[in-house]
Amino acid sequence: MQVRVRAFARLREAIGGDLTLEVPEGATMSRLLAAVGETSEQAGEALFEESGEIRGYVILMHNGRRVRRAEAGTLTLADGDEVALFPPVAGG
Amino acid sequence: MLTDWELERYRRQIALFGEEAQERLANARVVIVGAGGLGCPVALYLAAAGIGEVRLVDGDVVDRTNLNRQVLHTDRDIGRAKVESAAGKLRAQNPEITVVATRATLDEENAALLAGGADLLVDATDNFGVRYILNRVALGARVPLIHGAVRGFDGQATMIIPGRTACLECIFPVAPPREDVIPVVGTTPGIIGLVQANEAIKYITGTGDLLTNRLLVWDGRAATMTTLPVERQEDCKACGSGRC
Ligand SMILES: [Zn+2]
Repeated sequence: MQVRVRAFARLREAIGGDLTLEVPEGATMSRLLAAVGETSEQAGEALFEESGEIRGYVILMHNGRRVRRAEAGTLTLADGDEVALFPPVAGG
Repeated sequence: MLTDWELERYRRQIALFGEEAQERLANARVVIVGAGGLGCPVALYLAAAGIGEVRLVDGDVVDRTNLNRQVLHTDRDIGRAKVESAAGKLRAQNPEITVVATRATLDEENAALLAGGADLLVDATDNFGVRYILNRVALGARVPLIHGAVRGFDGQATMIIPGRTACLECIFPVAPPREDVIPVVGTTPGIIGLVQANEAIKYITGTGDLLTNRLLVWDGRAATMTTLPVERQEDCKACGSGRC
């Protein structure tokens, strides 16, 4: 199935734009995030800590709704879903 | 009542939202925390719009590396307190308003005092440590807070109405990591700062739909602006059941 990924800020630079990823039927949010991280070294660094955990400050959204980090492992995606990933900026 | 001078000066915007709204602007007190990349455009446009009292809070002095984006400061201001440098330009822009310059870095001890009496708070700071303090002060005093932040060509903004909308910690429960040098082009804080100033004017005059429960995201590389829905988190550590 296909899931659309909208990336913002540094993650968008790392990925190079929006993505449509092919993931197995019933894939979870975590599975999708891993697939996004595998698209490039920069994308992996932008999304994951060295420990392999998703970076806590990255805002995860699924079809326009906020997803908590703890839910990512159990939230299953469907064909045509949209996931948005936003690493906030901090300067002024 | 507006004076003849005011009726003339603000004619183009009175034509937009009326004399009563202009009076509200004249009676408003806005505290802008940060007189840097965001604070400069926010303050300049709020002064021009006729906000009665603009208070600037910042502890830094002007540095040459600030000048690509902190547009109220000039080469001659290097070494001066940012709030003094900025206040001088604002008074020249609009001699009829009150500009208060407070040279201080906002912290847990002085935050309530510095924000005291504000009708509206503007987050023009450059780090999440200070932002979280400001968010809690806004929640405690029940004063709306307009958040903005930038990096590179990217920016974000949202408006927080205590008790009604997502607060800063609902939206950003974990702060992004600190960077020693944050790369940025001046147009990014220019754009985000003006989004913040625009929200301030809308809030005070009661115009339009506020940027509440939405995070505006600007991508200067792609020249696109998007809003992402955000919502109050029940277990938020600042405004919800997880309060501490
Ligand atoms: Zn909250």
